[in-house]
Amino acid sequence: MTRELSRLLSTIASAAVITALGAGTMTLTAQPSNAAESLKIESAIKGGDPDVDPALEALGPPPIPADNPQTPEKIELGKKLFFDPRLGGNPSTPCSACHLPSVGWDVEDKVSFGYPGTVHWRNSQTIVNSAYYGKLFWAGSSKSLESQAKSAAGGAVAGNGEADMMEARLAFVPEYREAFNKVFGDQWPKIGNAWRAIAAFERTIVQTDTPFDNYLRGDKNALTASQKRGLELFRGKAGCIECHNGALLSDEKYYNTGVPPLDQWNDDGLKQVTFRYELYAKGSTEKMYRHTKDDPGFYFRSKEKADKGKFRTPSLRYTLYTEPYMHNGMLATLEDVVEFYNQGGGTNEFAKNKTKLIKPLGLKKKEKADLVNFLKSLSGPEILMDEPELPDYAPLPDAAN
Amino acid sequence: MTPRKTGRISLLAAVSAAALMGMAVVSTAQADDPGPISPLEVDAKKAELGKRLFFDPRLSGDGELSCSSCHQPEKGFTDGQALSDAYAGSLGFRNVPTLINTAMREAWFHDGRLGTNLNDVTRESITETYNMNMDMRLMQERLKQDPVYVKMFKEAGYGEPSNGSVRKAIPEYLKTLTSRGAPFDKGEMSEAAQAGYELFKGKAGCVQCHSGNRFTDDQPHNIGTPENPEIFKDPLRHITYVTFTKFLGVENYMNLRRDVGAYVRAHPSDRSTVGSFMTPTLRELKQTGPYMHNGMFNTLFEVVAFYNQGGGEDPNKDPLIQPLGLTFEEEKNLVAFLEALSGDVLTGPEFVPDEIDTDYQPIANWRKTPN
Repeated sequence: MTRELSRLLSTIASAAVITALGAGTMTLTAQPSNAAESLKIESAIKGGDPDVDPALEALGPPPIPADNPQTPEKIELGKKLFFDPRLGGNPSTPCSACHLPSVGWDVEDKVSFGYPGTVHWRNSQTIVNSAYYGKLFWAGSSKSLESQAKSAAGGAVAGNGEADMMEARLAFVPEYREAFNKVFGDQWPKIGNAWRAIAAFERTIVQTDTPFDNYLRGDKNALTASQKRGLELFRGKAGCIECHNGALLSDEKYYNTGVPPLDQWNDDGLKQVTFRYELYAKGSTEKMYRHTKDDPGFYFRSKEKADKGKFRTPSLRYTLYTEPYMHNGMLATLEDVVEFYNQGGGTNEFAKNKTKLIKPLGLKKKEKADLVNFLKSLSGPEILMDEPELPDYAPLPDAAN
Repeated sequence: MTPRKTGRISLLAAVSAAALMGMAVVSTAQADDPGPISPLEVDAKKAELGKRLFFDPRLSGDGELSCSSCHQPEKGFTDGQALSDAYAGSLGFRNVPTLINTAMREAWFHDGRLGTNLNDVTRESITETYNMNMDMRLMQERLKQDPVYVKMFKEAGYGEPSNGSVRKAIPEYLKTLTSRGAPFDKGEMSEAAQAGYELFKGKAGCVQCHSGNRFTDDQPHNIGTPENPEIFKDPLRHITYVTFTKFLGVENYMNLRRDVGAYVRAHPSDRSTVGSFMTPTLRELKQTGPYMHNGMFNTLFEVVAFYNQGGGEDPNKDPLIQPLGLTFEEEKNLVAFLEALSGDVLTGPEFVPDEIDTDYQPIANWRKTPN
């Protein structure tokens, strides 16, 4: 494919605005093209935090980074790689192992099962709409899908893969050699380009036509009466919009809402192993390593005590399919989540850092039901996908030496 | 090349030249004839801990492989295959070397790429992606979960389980793996073996490299061992080789179809060490076939016949390797001698631990117990 055609397709795929500037430079802007068509629903909270809460609006197409434009071939390659267990330590943990399309593109357990012989310590997050986040993972340790894929394929309780090995494996799949050459110009597949292709694929796993989006775009009947009441609670009395705002329904900031620690740490030896490993590997003081009994979250990024127990606000989109909830899966249903906030959140060992935004809400039974119904309007039909057939290894041709 | 090494090679070359001229070869090793391996001094508690670690699959990333998966006691701490297995998803490209007497080596692995100590060898074997693929930080926390280890580490004087102590305890166990009971050591060689020993020291010239009590000079040599085509026919093996050479900075790694061997030690610009491999010990050969760095020979007869014909073809072949002109009888005697260097199988409880419970029991009262 010519570069021009590839650019054109990228434009179509992303519906992004391409502006040619000067001598051939190209800038991609992330403005959703249909943002203007969407109703904007402002926060109705009086008081709260001083932050501006961006209005709720319909979700446009995802931002596409200028250094990784979308092309059909790249997306197709990325799809195969997403499901390919050769990108991992042993052949058991493709991306899809912990992001299974049939269960919300995540894992149904409280915390992800992780690499064989291990277990993870946090809840697996859905791939759906991950394209919109600027901060990936619960503590925001990656800033792009490209770097998220790389990290997840590597961690000892995640993919446990090693870059040289994974790259070598790709080189022995003729179909991949051809695809990497076509898409990236690689003589031999480069592992960094594998993460680019996977990210490009993930940017296609988006949902922008939920009942709520349709409502915002003018379909007054897209929400039920209960959901409309739930929406009012969401942006008013229940205060959800304080953090769950904008088109993504996440402000991507870090909060401690008092989610209780994972109960399984009390009685599951393997989970205790992982807990200590994470404290140790992510960098803790001796005292902290010895005495911490809960996930310090964003602390590992900032190393500020005030950030212990904070996690990045998750989007509320697609949550109909992604139970259980919270960074450690401690809340089983959307009803549980609403009740949790109604009671003013919970408590954990970092309670000192609990956000002041969380207070008992005094919601009546019917109000809670309305709120749950509204949350359900943030998910459209389930996105399902069959696993692609994966190409085989073949020996390399002879070479003289 | 160090001056010491240069000196050694020129001496050997002189011996070889003498042999070519049909003169009686006076072995450089005759002055101090090889004898039994002296057992090493071992800290019993540390070795006991190292023994359990050596057999524990929780030291691999996915909990499937222990050191003993490839280094099996009943096979002289090898796996009995031409080419080794590897971590799931990979296969090896070399023959598993024995660990018996390994504590006395000067450099490890067939290419001698680690010339420091068994602490480093242990680290590399546990962490390397195609070996056990273990993040040792996670390994440490696994060990801390097992009360048996908590006790053993403490009793060994190591405090709580740690990565550093694992890298000390396993080498301590390896120090217990010393040869014993070989007919050669007990003075019980058959007549054929005795005749073989004379050939070994003389006409066959084996002693030029296979010197000392372990019958190795601990140096790399190129004898022209044919390449094992399986490595390059089987993607799972070739991938491992590519990963290895890429990591070690070998040029043109995608196009190599030959094991570069000891070249990885110093990457000499003249590539003169390509295809050289460390002289292996000749002890315990009866337990450790197939032979050579790539397992190309199944029997000691094949090995002896290979040397008798003057080794294989290689542009870097050591000039020491020349056709020997051994008769069939002499070949048999040489094999008899080599077999007389094999002793007891190290499979008793001294070398193999009780069964290991690899389940992770929860720590009771976890919230109140410091990590």
